[in-house]
Amino acid sequence: MTTDQDVMDNLDYDSSVVGVEVDVGTHKVEQEDIIAYAKALGETSPLYLDEAAAKAGPHGAIIAPPLFYNLFHLEPGLDPKVNFGTTGFDAGQHAEFFEPIRAGDTISAKTQVSSVYAKTGRTGTMVFTVRRTTFTNQRGEKAIVMERRNVRRDIKK
Amino acid sequence: MNQIYIEDVDLGDDVGPLVLEPTRDQLNAFTKVWGTSVGRFTSDEVAKSEGFTGVILPGNMSMAFLGQLLTEWCGYEGKLRRLDVDFRRSIQPGDKLNCTGIITDIEVVDQENQVTLDVFIETQKGERALQGTAMVVLPSKS
Repeated sequence: MTTDQDVMDNLDYDSSVVGVEVDVGTHKVEQEDIIAYAKALGETSPLYLDEAAAKAGPHGAIIAPPLFYNLFHLEPGLDPKVNFGTTGFDAGQHAEFFEPIRAGDTISAKTQVSSVYAKTGRTGTMVFTVRRTTFTNQRGEKAIVMERRNVRRDIKK
Repeated sequence: MNQIYIEDVDLGDDVGPLVLEPTRDQLNAFTKVWGTSVGRFTSDEVAKSEGFTGVILPGNMSMAFLGQLLTEWCGYEGKLRRLDVDFRRSIQPGDKLNCTGIITDIEVVDQENQVTLDVFIETQKGERALQGTAMVVLPSKS
């Protein structure tokens, strides 16, 4: 019986990049993009859609819905080159929210591979790569910390 | 918007449902503002070649529906603090989605009223497409 530890002991990947944080770029937050994003989702809150109401509200500007950071086009960061399975996909995401993202913000992002681990379930063994990205605004305030879980496994029919 | 307070909630309370039926136009608007050209989100042909019956919604779009459920529920004075989801099944335009939550824990930490929930998106087929947990901070009446 092969254990998950055996899988990790024999896994072909670059463990030297784990825990190494790198800059992956900045994103200028445009109000029109927030509005287009909120409308595509069917959001109705004036905090996202109505400039006058948002300016008079608690944040002083239009803010973005919480998951807006997923639209940012960033560099991929360091690659652990996990050589396992025939297919890869996003298995899930964890996000912690600190400061709202406001229209006009410039958000900078740093990413690290925070862990690589194996897990065996009913569909076989999978190898997860977790990337943690920290988003900081132009005032130096931490806005969001997000972890994206990518999984690699064999396609089973 | 009606504000909900910590005094209004109990363990086991349901949140939602937020019932949504995302359209192809919404998906197109989403991929346009995202600026993605990933085929399974934009082309039926590519999606079919990958084993789907047509285009699917990006996980970060369906995850945002759970964000919407929670921010609408907690109101302007509440805060969504944490959201964690597993993407379990694909969602297609025209699917009827029930976005719901159930309160699993309530505690006061550092004078914050922290409410922990299990959250789900269920399709009309009764499948849980997304499943996860969330934490929301609610204001007190006093």
